Amino acid sequence: MEKRKAKFGLLALAVALTAPGAQRLLADQNDRAHQIGAKLKCMCGGCDQSAAKCYHVGGTYSGPCDTAKGMLKEIDAHIAQDKNDEQTLQAMIAEYGPLAYVEPPKSGFGLVAWLMPILYLLGGTGLVIVIMKRWRKRPAAVSGASMAAAGAGHASVNVTPELLARARELARRETED
Amino acid sequence: MDVFGSFALILAFVCALYAFGGGIAAIITRHPLLIKSARQSGMATCGLIFVSTLSLVYLFFSDNYSVAYVVSHSNRDLSTFFKVAALWSGQEGSLLFWSFLLAIYVFSVLFTYRNKNGELMPYVGVILAGVQLFFLTISNFVASPFKVLGVANAGGAFDLVARADGNGLNPVLQYPEMVIHPPNLYSGYTGFTIPFAFALAALLARYPGEKWIHLTRKWTMIAWCFQSMGILLGAHWAYAVLGWGGYWGWDPVENASLLPWLTGTAFLHSVMMQEKRGMMKVWNVWLVFVTFMLCILGTLLTRSGVVSSVHAFAQSSIGSWFVGFLCIVLGVCLAAYFKNKDYLKSENQLDSLVSRESSFLFNNLVLLVACVAVLSGTLFPVFSEWFTGQRISVGAPFFNKVNIPLGLLLLFLTGVGPLLAWRKTSTESLLRNFKWPGILGLLGGVMGFVFGFREMFSLICLILCVFVASTIVQEFYRGARVVRIRSGASWLASCVDLTLRNTRRYGGYIVHFGMVMIFIGLSGQAFNKEVEKELPIGSTARVGNYDLLLQSMDQKQEKNYVADRMIVEVLKHDKPVMMLYPERRNFPTNQESGTMVAIYSTLREDLYVVYAGMNPQTGLPTIHAFINPLVKWVWWGGMVVVMGTIVALLPNRAAVVVLSKAESPAHAPEVGRMHPAQVTLREGND
Repeated sequence: MEKRKAKFGLLALAVALTAPGAQRLLADQNDRAHQIGAKLKCMCGGCDQSAAKCYHVGGTYSGPCDTAKGMLKEIDAHIAQDKNDEQTLQAMIAEYGPLAYVEPPKSGFGLVAWLMPILYLLGGTGLVIVIMKRWRKRPAAVSGASMAAAGAGHASVNVTPELLARARELARRETED
Repeated sequence: MDVFGSFALILAFVCALYAFGGGIAAIITRHPLLIKSARQSGMATCGLIFVSTLSLVYLFFSDNYSVAYVVSHSNRDLSTFFKVAALWSGQEGSLLFWSFLLAIYVFSVLFTYRNKNGELMPYVGVILAGVQLFFLTISNFVASPFKVLGVANAGGAFDLVARADGNGLNPVLQYPEMVIHPPNLYSGYTGFTIPFAFALAALLARYPGEKWIHLTRKWTMIAWCFQSMGILLGAHWAYAVLGWGGYWGWDPVENASLLPWLTGTAFLHSVMMQEKRGMMKVWNVWLVFVTFMLCILGTLLTRSGVVSSVHAFAQSSIGSWFVGFLCIVLGVCLAAYFKNKDYLKSENQLDSLVSRESSFLFNNLVLLVACVAVLSGTLFPVFSEWFTGQRISVGAPFFNKVNIPLGLLLLFLTGVGPLLAWRKTSTESLLRNFKWPGILGLLGGVMGFVFGFREMFSLICLILCVFVASTIVQEFYRGARVVRIRSGASWLASCVDLTLRNTRRYGGYIVHFGMVMIFIGLSGQAFNKEVEKELPIGSTARVGNYDLLLQSMDQKQEKNYVADRMIVEVLKHDKPVMMLYPERRNFPTNQESGTMVAIYSTLREDLYVVYAGMNPQTGLPTIHAFINPLVKWVWWGGMVVVMGTIVALLPNRAAVVVLSKAESPAHAPEVGRMHPAQVTLREGND
């Protein structure tokens, strides 16, 4: 009796663990399909969106359009064959060609796309540094501060109301936001 | 009415032609009457464009189905509200609407400055007339919205015909945001014409000083504000209508709207360098030129079909006209620059690398790099096709990888920049200003890590958001404390007083705070969850902490569509929270369908539910549900940005100098000889 109870308990535990486990597995599979789909371009021809997120206007379904849904189902089928993410991705690329990548490949002409932002940033930073160096070398213009310093340092300088007003205006302009 | 509208449009073209040609003659001859007549012709152009636009609106309201544009974009059952939106739902109408918004700006400028800036305004008038002339040429001779329907009769002549009803408006446009999103975005695009006209005019006329900057600041901010609102409303429309669960997909048309916004933002910052220090004059002029050209490029991308876009409803073959116009604008800008570049020499030097000036330089650098990276990414498929014969896709993952680090760098500078002093910042000042924001930022990071922010960029974003928000709060606190000591008012009143005294500075801080809120919203994207499931009636789908119970399905008959609706009860921890009604609308007029997403939105997350359709094989409805954390922060942040811009546009509350009594009151001291201690500055409206 005790043995039967124990067997029944084990069976119940196994069912309890397996049912959510199976659900979890299915959900994971769905997530994986979406993650792989996010790396592939939807082949609907109307946009450059990914198969996981194609929201091409006029699609029959909301969310991924019909073409994208078909691609996600294909990915699901590959996953069901126990292929890992990379194998699934390569299987899809083999079917649709290298242009099915949603982002440029990091080789050949596609590499240019990746290098461009880095070059912009480096080139821009270099330019800013050159500009700053040139500005640092430039002789100082007569400013409010320098005029005030001149006034403070040399008691003999005649600070006329016009000069003071000009200095104030310059100081106001350069210090106020 | 179609003849009336068409005639007004032709007359507007003639007037613009005179404003342009007569204006050039006026600049050469300096004849006052010629100057006046060119200006008045420019104003008449605007009036005639108003008349023409209102005629087209009337054609929609009166269901005049003899006009091809009305037939294509409206039908009798379309509500009055959406008949207004039909005006800009197609190529021809949207171009006329563009002219209409531009005319509002042009009329405002010509009228406001009719008796001012006599040296500059003739140039401004000519440039504005030139831009108007281009759009009027398109609307009159290439894509007229007043074309009528006709059939050839036996004699070979055409007889006019009228249809009983129209084809209806594209379903995805039948949404309230579509009535306000395009006008906002177009107001942004067209608004940048004004600073462009003033910058080019100042360069051509060698107009002295920074006055053109002061004149255009307000116009630039208005255009920038509209552009920001337009982008955010477009994002909200995509979120609530397209049903894919997101709001920004890096579509070429979305990118096109972002490009002038980025350069416009850079200009709003770098312009301060010219105002305060007389620096970056060349840079500012070119930023304005580039911003305007990007507006035209954006229009070209939207309408030409050069790049694949989900905004397919606005594509046509008028792209070559825009390319031509863009080339002319670039040619004129280059010629004006090389002829007068000596006029743009900087006046000042850079005193220190740790200064406000440096932070503005780097801010501009990041904004410009982001702009060029987005532009080259958008056009890369075209380039790759030219060079290799294959069209290489550049989708959202590429733009995210490139722009997220740049965005974070910009967020960092948003916090740092305002705390650095002009000219030079001392080490003590740096420590004083950054100590608490730095500590709070790191604490925020630790808290975020503990509460599950494990994704690197989201965590960095959280740290920076807390840091920037702290710097802003610190600035308000310090300023309000001084006001409070003087006036004894409450903290809130002191903050308001402080803001009204220097609207530009504190309005700017409010804008920055809005941007922080937007970044908080963006950081939530890393934690999105979704589920898609066929759902029999009475069963549930689980997403996040929510259970979605499909209670029933029903059908709702409206005037212009039939909606199939899911009736979904939302349960959280087994407790009912609310009912949601996601629906699919079928429009019989044009045999199309669209979604209406149901969203339960809180500051923490959005529960976003889509009725994704009925599976024809199983006959079961499919539900697509998302948990999108922190999305609301994006929309609220947008509102704060708009509010801050409005504050920054307000004039400063005037400071009043009140002289205190001198110790020896016999002779009132002269201001020029007065000791500073004798002057009490009481700022306010008293």
